[in-house]
Amino acid sequence: MNLLAKWFGNNGSAKSAKDRLKIVLAHERSVKLPYMEDMKREILEVVQKYTHATKIDIKADSNQNIDTLEVEIILGK
Amino acid sequence: MAEVITITSGKGGVGKSTATANIAVGLAQKGKKVVAIDFDIGLRNLDMILGLENRIVYDVVDVMEGRCNLSQALINDKKTKNLYFLPASQSKDKNILDKEKVRNLVENLKKDFDYILLDSPAGIESGFEHAIFWADRALVIVTPEVSSVRDSDRVIGIIDAKSDKAKNGSEVQKHIIINRLKPDLIAKGEMLSNEDVLNILALPLIGLVPEDNKVVSATNSGEPVIYGNSPSGQAYKRIVNRLLGEKIAFPEFKSQNGFLSVFKRLFQ
Repeated sequence: MNLLAKWFGNNGSAKSAKDRLKIVLAHERSVKLPYMEDMKREILEVVQKYTHATKIDIKADSNQNIDTLEVEIILGK
Repeated sequence: MAEVITITSGKGGVGKSTATANIAVGLAQKGKKVVAIDFDIGLRNLDMILGLENRIVYDVVDVMEGRCNLSQALINDKKTKNLYFLPASQSKDKNILDKEKVRNLVENLKKDFDYILLDSPAGIESGFEHAIFWADRALVIVTPEVSSVRDSDRVIGIIDAKSDKAKNGSEVQKHIIINRLKPDLIAKGEMLSNEDVLNILALPLIGLVPEDNKVVSATNSGEPVIYGNSPSGQAYKRIVNRLLGEKIAFPEFKSQNGFLSVFKRLFQ
């Protein structure tokens, strides 16, 4: 790496540390819910009753203050 | 009313015992009656840092198991008379602690002291959960490294899930101390800055401690840095004042390498 870029640029290893931490923590903070598979199946059954959806994605996440559940349903054509 | 403060971290070797010793001395110097307890069962560190290793007869497990009285086991600090110390047991069985016995001990100490400092073992070592269970406040020591930050996040989650306060629907007050900051490396973008760490952990800061060689000699001689005026000693004094409720600004640690930072500013 160019010495000047190294000195003056903003590309030190701290930035990659930050990015890597964000990714790994986002993963580790995800909540493991014991009833997840059953819930997924039942939601899918309800959704399928009205639409052609064949797949849903459910993601549970948690940060210090709040737990969230993200449900993605792709409606078939 | 006595406050129970647990000093903890995700990873080992980030300076928990050093922080416990310095904060304990600092609070005692402010006229508070303080007891510092080493909860790292199987190992012992705090006694060396405080310089009290020669005076140990009984330990924290002896007290809890009723093999001695509390007053027999408490060691009075040689320099700061308001400070007492209860050493860790070197028992091989790390699972020796029992929740109710720890509660009894803490309740007994609450009658006599203003502050009870628990030096916890790292992360999910056994003993960790006992150290956080009865805590009113937790100080999480983090160094600006990926492994330390990552493990701290885990530990913060455990404090929220497993403390007595959490079980009763309230919350342990949590604060971050960032230890071993190296301003030179941060200026070069080669070390996570305090903003980076706080951004990721999303907890309030209570102390920034710069890397300081004085800590090594202080540990060697058994006299915590807070007795002196080195950068880390001053940092611990500010932490103590903040614990006592004073509002004190966080100083910006200047890079030692002034030349580089001047250049950097010129070119930006």
